[in-house]
Amino acid sequence: MAALSEEVLLVVKKVRQRKQDGTLYLMAERIAWGPEGKDRFTVSHLYADTRCQKISPDGKAKIQLQLVLHTGESTTFHFSNDSSALKDRDAAKELLQQLLPKFKKKANKELEEKNRMLQEDPVLFQLYKDLVVSQVISADEFWANRLGDTNHADPSLSNNKQEVGISGAFLADIRPQTDGCNGLRYNLTADIIESIFRTYPTVKEKYCENVPHNLTEKEFWTRFFQSHYFHRDRINTGTQDIFSECAKQDEQGLKSMVVQGVKNPLVDLLSLEDKTLDEGYGVCTTLPSTSNSNRSVKESSNSAIIKRFNHHSAMVLAAGSRKGETPANQASETSNTDGNSRDSVFFQPPVKKVKLKEAIEYEDLQRENRPKTVALNLKKSDRYAHGPVPLQSQQYTTSQDIINSVNYIQHEMVNYKPNLTQVLSSTTASSAIAALSSGGVLMQAATQQAINQMVPSEVQGELKHLYAAAGELLRHFWSCFPVNTPFMEEKLTGHLEEMLQTAYSKFHIWQTRRMLRKT
Amino acid sequence: MASEEEINLLVIVVDVNPIWWGQQAQRATELTLSKCLDAVMVLGNSHMAMSRTNKLSVIASHFEDSHFLYPGKSWRMGDSCGDDASSSGDGKYELLAVANNLIAEEIRKVMSKTEVRGNSTDTLLAGTLAKALCYINRVSKEFEVGQEIKSRILVIKAAEDCARQYMNFMNVIFAAQKQNILIDACVLDSDSGLLQQACDITGGLYLKIPQKVALAQYLLWVFLPDSEQRSQLVLPPPAHVDYRAACFCHRNLIEIGYVCSVCLSIFCNFSPICTTCETAFKIQLPQMVKPKKKKLKQPT
Repeated sequence: MAALSEEVLLVVKKVRQRKQDGTLYLMAERIAWGPEGKDRFTVSHLYADTRCQKISPDGKAKIQLQLVLHTGESTTFHFSNDSSALKDRDAAKELLQQLLPKFKKKANKELEEKNRMLQEDPVLFQLYKDLVVSQVISADEFWANRLGDTNHADPSLSNNKQEVGISGAFLADIRPQTDGCNGLRYNLTADIIESIFRTYPTVKEKYCENVPHNLTEKEFWTRFFQSHYFHRDRINTGTQDIFSECAKQDEQGLKSMVVQGVKNPLVDLLSLEDKTLDEGYGVCTTLPSTSNSNRSVKESSNSAIIKRFNHHSAMVLAAGSRKGETPANQASETSNTDGNSRDSVFFQPPVKKVKLKEAIEYEDLQRENRPKTVALNLKKSDRYAHGPVPLQSQQYTTSQDIINSVNYIQHEMVNYKPNLTQVLSSTTASSAIAALSSGGVLMQAATQQAINQMVPSEVQGELKHLYAAAGELLRHFWSCFPVNTPFMEEKLTGHLEEMLQTAYSKFHIWQTRRMLRKT
Repeated sequence: MASEEEINLLVIVVDVNPIWWGQQAQRATELTLSKCLDAVMVLGNSHMAMSRTNKLSVIASHFEDSHFLYPGKSWRMGDSCGDDASSSGDGKYELLAVANNLIAEEIRKVMSKTEVRGNSTDTLLAGTLAKALCYINRVSKEFEVGQEIKSRILVIKAAEDCARQYMNFMNVIFAAQKQNILIDACVLDSDSGLLQQACDITGGLYLKIPQKVALAQYLLWVFLPDSEQRSQLVLPPPAHVDYRAACFCHRNLIEIGYVCSVCLSIFCNFSPICTTCETAFKIQLPQMVKPKKKKLKQPT
């Protein structure tokens, strides 16, 4: 019955279910279908009960949507509107995709967990059958002890994913291919686009400004690759190019980086120059001046490339260390993007100390702060010499006895010659054989049969199950101690008593049934 | 080329404690050390006669040391020394003759060298077993790679157990188990708990002989077949081994006891301090349930 107060989100006509025409209604909390002409719903499922939805593949003639419930059953809807079946189905699918996750209750997850546990562990399953199905114990109590550990494990899974760094070669990976007719084809993947945005925040700005208002995405990227910003020679072609601003900003950023210098007091970049001893020893060149006036064309293009490379590397490194975008600070970030500590100039000495310390000490080699252990202190270690062996009555022999015995045996063995033909007489041999034959003295134990060979295996199996069930009940009994709460008291005296009685009667029934079978 | 047949090595450890055997001889019982050694020789000969690839070793276990009776140190195959004296006239398989003579000679030496020094009079069985294991290890290394060698140890025990050898004994037993070496025991006089455990753990046979004088018959019937053949035969069933441990305080056998988690010593009663390692223990006493104060019902 459709509740009048329910909000209907989508109505799809001409939807067949079980070969009947009808209408599909998607409401706020459930999905329902009613046959044509009738005003009540024959099929109604809460989103909370639905596990997932499936759609028929695109190529198929029949356009269907299937809902799979948690209980395993499924309902299929066939969209049969000639003109708009696919659209309808997709619309329904989209809406469901948004609604279903909202209703995924945790309780269903628990149910799945329970099912999984029962399936994985046959012993547990047997216990469940014996105790819960035969109503000796309630299902809640059964699961109360078992589920305690597993529920809290999942949320603690760390949500901290490591950030993926940027490959330095991402621009090179684009790999332009010739189009055939004098054009170039650039393959851009989402990864590359992301890398570009992360490394060059100015480009991202431009993208946000222009797409989709002024340019489509394709146009934007085409312009990007066409602009000289991307190419080597950064000759500013006037303000028509939307990327000329980026170029100017990059120049500024680079200049400020150079000005800032490296914060690490142990690194002195300015001293890295080619030093020559004299003419003939090493290379003697005039230092290239940084002013624009004296440059030759070649030098200026070289320096442009080097600038580009340096800038690119600096941006890649900075993008990696930049955590979380702060859109307001885009401009300032480009100037502070040198990866090293951002301490201001005033804190020079501590930084140096820190750097020195880092260079000298290794964490691994420091003394570990392990918890203090207690050394084993054995007072009576001679106890281990004899081990857990019972004290046996010693037979004391006097030293005179010992000497006598030794002398005797030495006397006997002085003239020892093996006499192998007279080792055994036939009577002794036959009596020994008699003792070793079945029924003989030594073979008595062999005639006793082990009890597990006398009882049939099914009886053994049933007995084992009963034993395990009894053990489970005992576990519940003992977990009630110490009796702290009135609930425990009540459980002990009332509930458990009942359980044990039921269990006992079950056992009794089984016993009598077995006895009857025997006789 | 490694031969296809597997090699069976039998190591016989004979307890030749002179004190026990001397006492036996003095009591004029029928089994003397000579007869015992004869029986051992019969078993050894039979074992070697069963197959050309069978090997034998005999070790005498004394209270002073353990001594290899066979094979001797200087003995090599085809050694021609002492041939004239030792060759028996009855056309016996020469290996058997040589072995017998060697054993007899060595035991005479061992017995004549015996001196009572008053240190201990217990048979050094654990040490002898260790030597046997080492010998088996050496022999198995001497063969070509891939040559299977099956070994077992037969202990013929005369005197009583020495409790002081417990630790070494257990180590030997577990080492034998790891190497798949069976330890069989033929006990002449008093039951030995250590040997019962050894046989149980390694899968060998333990037998206490009712008639000492028929030793040879028992040896041939029970201990000559190797482990594969034993499954086809009806042999005395394994004895029930008493694995109960004895508590460290009274040396009584207990079934349920307390074990210190630090030094693993076993006690029959709980004591808050372990006497071996002086660790203090706390046991949680059951919580006392305080009686609830019942409010007196006010009559309304």
